[in-house]
Amino acid sequence: MMFKKILIANRGEIAVRIMRACKELGVKTVAVYSDADKNSQHAQLAEEALPIESYLNVDSLLRAARASGADAVHPGYGFLSENASFALAVESATLKFIGPSADSIRAMGDKAESKIRMKKAGVPTVPGFEGLESESDFKKAAKEIGYPVLVKAAAGGGGKGMRVVDDEAGLGEAVQSSAREALNSFGDDRLLVEKYIPNAHHIEFQVFGDEHGNLVHLFERECSTQRRYQKIIEETPSPLLTPELRKQMGEAAVSAARAVNYYNAGTIEFIVDPDTLQYYFLEMNTRLQVEHPITEAITGLDLAQWQIRVAAGEHFPYSQEQLTQRGHAIECRVYAEDPANGFLPSAGKLLQYLEPRGLGIRVDSGFRASDEVTHFYDPLLAKLIVHAENRETAIQKMQAALREFVVHGVTTNIDFMQAVLSHPDFAEGKVSTKWVEDHFKWNPPAEPSFESLIAAALADTLVPSSTSQVSSSNEIDPFSPWKNPNGFRN
Amino acid sequence: MKITFDNTTLELKPNGKNYEVALGDKTATVELLRADAERGKLDLLIDGERVTAYVSSDGAKRWVTINGRTSLLTKQSGTRRSGGAGQASTGALTAPMPGQVRAVNVSEGEAVTKGQTLLVLEAMKMEIRIQAPMDGVVKSLAVKQGQTVEREQILVMVEN
Repeated sequence: MMFKKILIANRGEIAVRIMRACKELGVKTVAVYSDADKNSQHAQLAEEALPIESYLNVDSLLRAARASGADAVHPGYGFLSENASFALAVESATLKFIGPSADSIRAMGDKAESKIRMKKAGVPTVPGFEGLESESDFKKAAKEIGYPVLVKAAAGGGGKGMRVVDDEAGLGEAVQSSAREALNSFGDDRLLVEKYIPNAHHIEFQVFGDEHGNLVHLFERECSTQRRYQKIIEETPSPLLTPELRKQMGEAAVSAARAVNYYNAGTIEFIVDPDTLQYYFLEMNTRLQVEHPITEAITGLDLAQWQIRVAAGEHFPYSQEQLTQRGHAIECRVYAEDPANGFLPSAGKLLQYLEPRGLGIRVDSGFRASDEVTHFYDPLLAKLIVHAENRETAIQKMQAALREFVVHGVTTNIDFMQAVLSHPDFAEGKVSTKWVEDHFKWNPPAEPSFESLIAAALADTLVPSSTSQVSSSNEIDPFSPWKNPNGFRN
Repeated sequence: MKITFDNTTLELKPNGKNYEVALGDKTATVELLRADAERGKLDLLIDGERVTAYVSSDGAKRWVTINGRTSLLTKQSGTRRSGGAGQASTGALTAPMPGQVRAVNVSEGEAVTKGQTLLVLEAMKMEIRIQAPMDGVVKSLAVKQGQTVEREQILVMVEN
């Protein structure tokens, strides 16, 4: 039976996205907001909004759920979405957790444990070792795998506690610093060591299952355009995959998910060696991904709605054979950050915020003009998604859409992404996960253009001000925009 | 009329419906076709070319977007020239963005060397090191560890 009221334990664009899905299904929504988010879009869009201490505070969230009379909780992504104890706590409070079972989350949450399970299920994994203790263990393991190797945190994510080691001399230090970083970030200093694959592509498969045993994949997403392990541009189909490889990887993804009795939306991440086309299981994300809209575009399925529907007990009605990829979709993540300054996050009030529009253009965002972008949370402003007939036209559409995106008040990565999209390597689909750091030289213009100086100067003459006088030659023209009584917003 | 942004001075001369704009030896004839104050949108004809610009202002700052490319300009008021009186010479170090002071590594009166990390600021889960712009002495320390700071708030003064 469909839920009556869903509490969305998240913020920003994803909370807004889920609320839209709820509204379409006729389900009431409850937003929660932290102090910093009092006036944010997600809090305003829901039928009810309740204050919480933090998006990570389980008790506070459950109190809000009980107070509002919600019968289900959607965790979104990030925060508590991949926290098995939260999923359990929600279910113990006799609410439905919209996502996989706590057991599936736990099984896939630990990188070392999930790797062992995947090996058992026959899913290719990167050659490597888990459960190492002493430095000599690490040395032996690394030697057997062959340098370069990757040392990474078992509980990790987001590049934290991760080091590439080229030779034995650098191993000791890498192990120590990774363990320290892992302990600080995840409270768990267990490490694993595996083969490092240079120029690897990050290609993930969306899987989706209902609670009655139907489990399919919804094709891949190519997510190799990253900066500092953070995805910035995603697309589907991947320019690297052949139909045969897609079929193989899709089947591997379904086997991986089946091995942990998975249901609801999940993502199997693979790394692919572009030279050998060997693919290896990396990890599973047991939640809806940031980049899910490109899958929605090419499959025509509403993943957020289907998450809710299967959680309510519905059957997912499509078999693998019935699912197809139509056209090409790209997502650009518009971040409030300064690519010219080490991608330093940028905070401030949005003085102007105009989204592009048109056929095949979608913007998922949690902001509007005059909203405040704070430094408390992830600096994702919006996701711009385009869908077109093929890759070439999708890139063109994205370039045109980015030219129409106007954000003032915070620095964004829009110019940077525009430069990536017009790079020949991107056109050829050759971008690997280290490409931005290792190969891409971004040269933003050092000087503002003559046109922008002219525009700023003319705009200034429109500002009603005691110090600048409107020139008399324009005063006589009654239709002159210079006489605009509103002037410019200051 | 002269307007200076950063180090660049434009000269605007009204000429009927148009403006003659000069920047050094560059000149252009500009016609303002439309101005949408609500959206900060200007439709211009610059030497016969249609240009749509979005302009927002925040104090002396001007955000200008043309064709998806955004520039941030700072208007210089009056006759004051830019350059010279920057942060480095006064030694007042300010927060580049709002955040929290994670660590204070120096105390007042302490001698510091150029590039030395004086404070660590945490903002949006990133660490930002505030470093000494020159050799000198910490003249005053305006913040404590754990304190929340606003953008451009003075953190520490260094004197040589």
